[in-house]
Amino acid sequence: MGAVAKTLGCALWGLETALVTVEVDVANGLPHLAIVGLPDTAVQEARERVRAAIRNAGFEFPLRRVTVNLAPAERKKEGAGFDLAIALAILRATGQLRADPDGLCLGELALDGAVRPVRGAMPRVRRALAAGITRAYVAAENAGEAAALGAEAIPLASLRAAVDHLDGSSRIAPVLPPPPGRPPAWPVDLADVVGQETPKRALEIAAAGGHNILFVGPPGTGKTLLARALPSILPPLDPDEAIEASAVHSVAGLIDPERPLLVSRPFRAPHHTASRLALVGGGTPPRPGEVSLAHAGALFLDELGEFHGSVLDTLREPLEEGAVTISRAGGAATYPARFVLVAAMNPCPCGHSGDPGAECTCLPDAVDRYRARISGPLLDRIDLRVHVPRVPYERLRADERREPSAAVRERVCAARARMAARGYRTNAELTVAGVRMHCPLDAAADALLSDAMRMRRLSARGYHRLLRVARTAADLECRDAIGADHVATALLLRALP
Amino acid sequence: MIALHPSDDAYPAALREPGPGPDPLWVDGDTAVFDRPSVAIVGTRRMSPYGERMARELAAALASAGAVVVSGLAPGIDCAAHASAIDAGGSSVAVLGEGITSFLANSGGRRRRLAARLRERGALVSAYAPVVPAQGWMFAKRNATIAALGRAVVVVEAPVGSGALITAADAVRLGRPLFAVPGPVGGRCSEGTNALIASGAARACLGPDAVGEAIGVTAPNVVASGDVVLDVLAAGPLDIDELARQTRIEQGALRARLVSLVLSGAVADRGDGRYGRCR
Repeated sequence: MGAVAKTLGCALWGLETALVTVEVDVANGLPHLAIVGLPDTAVQEARERVRAAIRNAGFEFPLRRVTVNLAPAERKKEGAGFDLAIALAILRATGQLRADPDGLCLGELALDGAVRPVRGAMPRVRRALAAGITRAYVAAENAGEAAALGAEAIPLASLRAAVDHLDGSSRIAPVLPPPPGRPPAWPVDLADVVGQETPKRALEIAAAGGHNILFVGPPGTGKTLLARALPSILPPLDPDEAIEASAVHSVAGLIDPERPLLVSRPFRAPHHTASRLALVGGGTPPRPGEVSLAHAGALFLDELGEFHGSVLDTLREPLEEGAVTISRAGGAATYPARFVLVAAMNPCPCGHSGDPGAECTCLPDAVDRYRARISGPLLDRIDLRVHVPRVPYERLRADERREPSAAVRERVCAARARMAARGYRTNAELTVAGVRMHCPLDAAADALLSDAMRMRRLSARGYHRLLRVARTAADLECRDAIGADHVATALLLRALP
Repeated sequence: MIALHPSDDAYPAALREPGPGPDPLWVDGDTAVFDRPSVAIVGTRRMSPYGERMARELAAALASAGAVVVSGLAPGIDCAAHASAIDAGGSSVAVLGEGITSFLANSGGRRRRLAARLRERGALVSAYAPVVPAQGWMFAKRNATIAALGRAVVVVEAPVGSGALITAADAVRLGRPLFAVPGPVGGRCSEGTNALIASGAARACLGPDAVGEAIGVTAPNVVASGDVVLDVLAAGPLDIDELARQTRIEQGALRARLVSLVLSGAVADRGDGRYGRCR
């Protein structure tokens, strides 16, 4: 025979994808299987898996010279996701498969011929769809991800099932797209937090405008509770964001096969011992870190002062750019990382500086040193810095009227709608020109701000950051002009620590 | 830096009278400040917000009235007094318990910056040669020098066992008028100062005017402001939510007013979420 068979795979690097044509040539010669086209170790090992899977699925592995080429050849390929495409191409080239596989083939093979799921199915299927290829042959566990994007996903249990389906002897029905999930019940509601009007208002501003926020206060005053209430007041994910965020989770292998698309904004809370790699991603091949898993949602860093300083400083790029680029010898991988940073820390090592209910046992120098652990450039990117004081016992018991998250969320959504009408997703993303155009001040606000500029010697950047926060405070009240109260809010929330 | 001997004209007169002063006295700064009326303001390292406010208020009022504020450049009350005196446009002298060079080499951050300002707007002085690192026993000599350099001594806050009480004992021994700022009964930071008043060793300091009179300057007491925010804050610093509750001003209006007060310098953000009065 000696015919060349072709199937279609997809390479993944970061979130970048490229369709890969898998070509197989079977020629006379000594029995040999060669894979060319810049395969990494995992792809090279496909030789052994494919050979065993073909035999154990009841097919014949050709005792001839088999050459597998992954085109385009100059692009590095990684992972075990090409196994299925290679096996089907070999079977097609040897005539054991009678029809060409007419879609994306994505799956790792077990030695007994079963098809296993792969990481990053979602971005790869998305690439195929963009190229007009609507059918995807995938492991059953990946079928939900593919179907959720609108692809005709054929769930394969084994290599044998794939061949039977393609030959027409036993057709497999495509998986139906999973029903849209309902957002979960929030573990923490804002109504659970007693008192703390100013911190709650700051959280609302953070949720509406996408501003980063830092809670400082003694232990046990509700910093963590407040931060964990953030998801309950964030606006719902729009469909594009859901796909974008789910794709990152897909690459990290964190997709729930039953509910492949995220239904609520992610809320990631890495422990303070997290490494740089865990936080911003990396490794070979690169994997997304917590900042990317928090894309379109929130990243919560509890005990900010306990994080390693060099780890925290790696946050500066994602906070500024909304993305992380990981450069490796094999190429650069870019992951999205647009998130709201919520951080919490104690005011000093013992936690009781400024706490009327307990005495601080730290020397003044120790307090200064503790605060200096958060570097200036990082602190500069946190627009809202809020102290969370201890609530006196009488007020903990008092049955004050407390607003539930649902009501706050409505205001947040209304404010976001105003931002969208101006052409920005959030006020935190307002450009300098946008600030100039969309932040009109009334007379009192103007007077207050010019006083502040003179006294505080605000930098130009500080000035713009201040106005963005004031803009959000005004949007939450559906005001077009920024008032003195809004400027005062931004000033008071920025002053610390 | 120069070394002054009692035979030198520039040697502080205040150190000559009560008995043999340090010989030599190392001085880094302006020796002319020794000719002006002076007051020592001392207190604990772990001050309360009330103590900080009183230290600042006294130092600012007396420094604006022309007095030189003498203290020990320790964290807490000492630093608050030095900083407030300089901020008010006055002069201040820090007496160190170690060599001046050693201090500058070993201290960091805020105290180092404060020391730099003191060299320009007053002086750093020490009874020890420039390179003598601090030892616990050396501070007693420093406290005696502080008490001698000040024509009057004010203890702002001192728990029992505080080093400031040693300075107070030195003041009594040297015959310097001694003042103590009264504080809440039962408050840890005021146990020592209240005891000084109760025993009759010190006069209760209710404001800068009596202290000024003792050293020959006129420093009027602060009168109640009439501003509801300032009056509520006089009892101690508060966070915004609590301030709104006590003043019964609506949050939005209160925020704008608070910012104006902060910008005018009447109120300061204390760095722990609370706002306190500056004067």
